[in-house]
Amino acid sequence: MLARATTHALVGLEARSIEVEAHLQRGVPGFAIVGLPDKGVQEAKERVRSGIASAELEWPMRRITVNLAPADLRKEGSGFDLPIALAILGASQQIPLDMLAEHAALGELALDGRIRPVPGAIVAAEAARRTGLAKLLCAAESAPEAALAGIEPIPVRHLAEAGAYLRGRHEPEPVGEPPPYSGPPPPDLRDVRGQERARRALEIAAAGRHNLLLGGPPGTGKTMLARRLPGILPPLTREEALEVTRIHSVAGALPAGQPLVAYPPFRAPHHTASTPAIVGGGPGPRPGEATLAHRGVLLLDELGEFSRPSLEALRQPLEDGLVAIARIGGRHVFPARFLLVGTMNLCPCGARGDPGVECSCSPARIAAYRQKLSRALLDRFDLVLTVPRARSQEVAGAPGELSSAVAERVVAADRRLRERPPLIGEAAGTVLGRAVDRLGLSARGHARIARVAATIGALAEVDEVLPEHMAEALSYRSPSELAVAA
Amino acid sequence: MTYGVLRRGGAGYPSLLAQLHDPPARLHLRGDPDGIFERPAVAVVGARSCSAYGAQVARTVARELAGAGVVVVSGMARGVDAEAHRGALEAGGTTLAVLGCGIDRDYPARHAELARRIVAGAGLVVSEYEPGVEPAPWRFPARNRVIAGLSLATVVVEARERSGALITADFALELGREVFAVPGEITAALSAGTNRLIRQGAEPLLGTEDVLAALGLEAAAEPTVELTDAAARVLDLLADAPGGHDELVRSSGLAASAVAAALVELELAGLATEADGIHRATRIPERAA
Repeated sequence: MLARATTHALVGLEARSIEVEAHLQRGVPGFAIVGLPDKGVQEAKERVRSGIASAELEWPMRRITVNLAPADLRKEGSGFDLPIALAILGASQQIPLDMLAEHAALGELALDGRIRPVPGAIVAAEAARRTGLAKLLCAAESAPEAALAGIEPIPVRHLAEAGAYLRGRHEPEPVGEPPPYSGPPPPDLRDVRGQERARRALEIAAAGRHNLLLGGPPGTGKTMLARRLPGILPPLTREEALEVTRIHSVAGALPAGQPLVAYPPFRAPHHTASTPAIVGGGPGPRPGEATLAHRGVLLLDELGEFSRPSLEALRQPLEDGLVAIARIGGRHVFPARFLLVGTMNLCPCGARGDPGVECSCSPARIAAYRQKLSRALLDRFDLVLTVPRARSQEVAGAPGELSSAVAERVVAADRRLRERPPLIGEAAGTVLGRAVDRLGLSARGHARIARVAATIGALAEVDEVLPEHMAEALSYRSPSELAVAA
Repeated sequence: MTYGVLRRGGAGYPSLLAQLHDPPARLHLRGDPDGIFERPAVAVVGARSCSAYGAQVARTVARELAGAGVVVVSGMARGVDAEAHRGALEAGGTTLAVLGCGIDRDYPARHAELARRIVAGAGLVVSEYEPGVEPAPWRFPARNRVIAGLSLATVVVEARERSGALITADFALELGREVFAVPGEITAALSAGTNRLIRQGAEPLLGTEDVLAALGLEAAAEPTVELTDAAARVLDLLADAPGGHDELVRSSGLAASAVAAALVELELAGLATEADGIHRATRIPERAA
């Protein structure tokens, strides 16, 4: 007897349709899975066998061959458990084949027959819809996510429930659009006291999507500031939210019960992270932190401590907004359009810039520390500023402005920049010209400052950039102590 | 590029230098010495790893000296020396770098461009060593004696307790030349040497006009600049004490954006500068007579 079930395998951020064929033959009872399964898929044998037994269904005492087609695509993960079990049940005539053919299936089996969620449900559901299947059998936890793809999810908690449903003896509860996000919002700017300059820089960064480099001694709140950036970015549109949700689903990074990502993501990989962990890679390949930060913020805390190859690998996403990973099997493209925030100390010991402590670093060590960052990478930071140590009266001072108030200005400026960006006025051009002469700005630095000035103009709701906007833009150019002549 | 050699006792050999008890037998020159040694010269020297304060004072004093027609002499080392040369160049003045190695060696390597600018600005790079001689620590005290010998007065900006700049000051005192020391905080190691000089009788430097007065010269009038109200307000605050951006926001009552713009305006006008997040006024305020 032969039966077929349909499932989907993740390839990068895409899902490929996989036919799961189960064939029962006479012969010595046995169980083989073919079709390039990896170790995780091979282990499905044990889970499927136990799951069927736990569901009080019958394990056919036949020679069982399961084929995953197309056979030349490597299959990874545990989502094949449910379709394999269903194909075997179909082949042993325990469930009707015509019902099975109308459904895609995705899920991992527990030894007691429960069905567990697997990453990438939304992507699998979209692929199912594209191949003309209207229903997806999946874990109850995955159902709201699958509903986002415009398909009818059939939430099943247990293999026995799936069998009963396919035999028409169980009616699953309908799953609607998932409820809006109700978890905690990103941290609020209200918690930041003082730090007027850094707050202003965050606002400009959010409005114009300018990458931001924060320098200063440790403990001055550089990381705290960066964490508050997602809360003032323009909210994600529905399309963007779905895009981010897909990525986070594939990476298994979606919080339980909150399928649709509501806020721009915030990612802060540790500086010991490998290059593939940051830009994506692996045999799969899998998206990295740069892609998980798509449409959000990527914070590289202690920029100078990251390996140089990791930092250099970020140049492509910073330039093109995507990561391309070449494999023998093909080229995978992951979106990676994020706002980069870097933080660094002004010297290796960290004391420089802190009036209370004397820095013990030799000039040669400071130079070596700063040289770790290539000019090409530093050139990607539109805004550079030093975050000073807050004094006691600030720490005890009044709370700052709310993120929501800042976000309103950011949204208005973002719209203005897209619809009618402010032009550089003549007087502002003169200021820029003087700066070029006096500060020795490069052509690239010139363009960068004009861009920041336009954002500042948009925040000020003007049609023409004024000299004071240009002057303010110049104040965020790389200061000399970071050894980055703009 | 002009290279030349002046021999002790020969034409053009600086008469001030000849007053040393062991003047160099030969002085190798890079650049055109045209009349430079007849002009009043002042040495501005100090620590290599100087503070932002030291760097700022060195640059300002050198700029104002050069603006008044004084040749600024220094050793082209990192820190105070380099700032002194840059300050003189900023004023379009003449500056003279004395090396402890051959004049063809770019030492320190990062100052190769500075040396080029010094020569291009009608200044000189000089050394008593033959071209090709490598820099060595034991040559620097000898180099300092040339710096002191070429100068009518020596200004020590920042120096630790045991600093090469103090050797320069000693040579200047031996020659009976004026020595100025820039006072610093008594808790700062970088000012220990200069503060000690003051205790020993060196003139505390409170403004460039102190040096100019000792030489019988007048300060050049600094051009007046039209400032916006915000910039003028921020400059007033900076004249009281250096400060960070956020302190200025609070003390001025201006918005963060306005303070940022004002600081850039002041910087473009050459009236303020920034290091490690601290802004300071570049001009030493006028003293009440």
